Amino acid sequence: MRGPLVLGIETSCDETAIGIVAGRTLLANVIASSVDEHARFGGVVPEIASRAHLEAIQPALKQALSDAGVTLRDIDAVAVTAGPGLIGALLVGTSTAAGLALGLGRPIYAVNHLAAHISVDYLTHTNAIEPTIALLVSGGHSSLLKIDDITHSITKLGATMDDAAGEAFDKIARILDLGFPGGPAIDRIARDGNSSAIDFPRGLTTSGDWKTRPYDFSFSGLKTAVARYLENTPAYAKADVAASFQEAVVDVLLQKALAACKDSGIDHLVIAGGVAANSRLRALAEQRCERAKIALAIPEPALCTDNGAMVASLGALMVLSGRPASPLAFDASSSMPVEAISL
Amino acid sequence: MSASLVIDTSTSRTIVGLVKDEQIIWQGFHDGATDHGNAVALLAKQALAAGVNPDRVVVGMGPGPFTGLRVGISFARAFAAARNVPVIGICSLDAIVVDQGAYTVAIDARRKEIYWARYQHGVRVEGPAVNFPADVDGYIIDLYPNVLRLAQLSESQNVSEPFYLRRPDAVATADRPS
Repeated sequence: MRGPLVLGIETSCDETAIGIVAGRTLLANVIASSVDEHARFGGVVPEIASRAHLEAIQPALKQALSDAGVTLRDIDAVAVTAGPGLIGALLVGTSTAAGLALGLGRPIYAVNHLAAHISVDYLTHTNAIEPTIALLVSGGHSSLLKIDDITHSITKLGATMDDAAGEAFDKIARILDLGFPGGPAIDRIARDGNSSAIDFPRGLTTSGDWKTRPYDFSFSGLKTAVARYLENTPAYAKADVAASFQEAVVDVLLQKALAACKDSGIDHLVIAGGVAANSRLRALAEQRCERAKIALAIPEPALCTDNGAMVASLGALMVLSGRPASPLAFDASSSMPVEAISL
Repeated sequence: MSASLVIDTSTSRTIVGLVKDEQIIWQGFHDGATDHGNAVALLAKQALAAGVNPDRVVVGMGPGPFTGLRVGISFARAFAAARNVPVIGICSLDAIVVDQGAYTVAIDARRKEIYWARYQHGVRVEGPAVNFPADVDGYIIDLYPNVLRLAQLSESQNVSEPFYLRRPDAVATADRPS
């Protein structure tokens, strides 16, 4: 018995992604990205993303079914990202999901993109991880969460006050002329740099901040500090700037994530979202969690960025735990709060 | 002998119908410029409750406001895939029925423009295109695509891509004023 066969659809940003799982076993994970079409605009253009989704989603679906060796008739449930994300992009996925669910006569699970990012860990780590602290870091989100039940109970401990971590990477990559998306570009060049060359500020880490906003993030001051450094240092070393900037982001993310573990008495941490693919974040998280005796789980890099497997995974967990399905008609939500795990 | 599930979301009205052998078995609509996502699924569910299994899906490919348009197309393609039946795309303006020899139909394209096409004896002779209303002569704008006509057109037409007629709004970083 492999568990329910669930198809997951993800179209919240620029990745058209279809995943198929059988219970907690990954069978297919197809991703068609429109990132190259956005590069010359320096960021994701919603209308370009939406058009690309419509073009890519049926081929991606066929590919995923073929990879998994199943047909649509075999699917037990359809899961789809209902938010948060770009509304026009989300709607291609939710409409596709509704068409499939109605056509097949199967239930639909309209789930939260952020919860899905965390739930993907269940495909690789088989032990129960709850309760756990989760650090969710991507181009659109940076939050610290307490997860008591991934299908039912998520509490937001804190979030970014301004830019998301991934957004900060994109913006700094742009001023360093490293292109878009910025995360992988900075990660790459930072390997040749000295991460302690420049002491960039760690946002919201003064003793006052630790009292009032212990689990919130702020990256706008860091961004300004990097820009000012570049202005004042005409002969700057790009790799050192990238490495020092990256270190500042990663350091503050982990300081706060570990503080959340310690304060809540939870010795388990999941790091998820696109920024979790960052090699420095992964390495430093391992070091610090080992020292603090916290069990660390980070999905493999391919499952950190937006994908359909994570949506299918959350859908399957909801089926397995007997959570009710969503209504066939629901409103995709650009601002779906993380506490709303499904609609 | 065919039964068509007909869907059009090219206007602010979500239109769904079930047509069998030139007869409308069921049709319904919902007005609301941002409601397509919700409405199309509910209407299609009601259409299926009529008890006829569609052996094709017919969908309006616009032109029309992009976000709503994509809802109908996405839904139609997925439903067709699920039922393993063909999906046939129709120029939505072609399905606006006007009882005249020569006429021009239009729908709101927002930004003070209209999507329009010109017809003679039911055959499109110009368009679809997008223009300011002042640049298009004598058009009819208060009609919606017709369910039966959409089904009929699926015998002779099959459009595979949506009629966007406009490029996405975006300025390349290199072209931006600094």
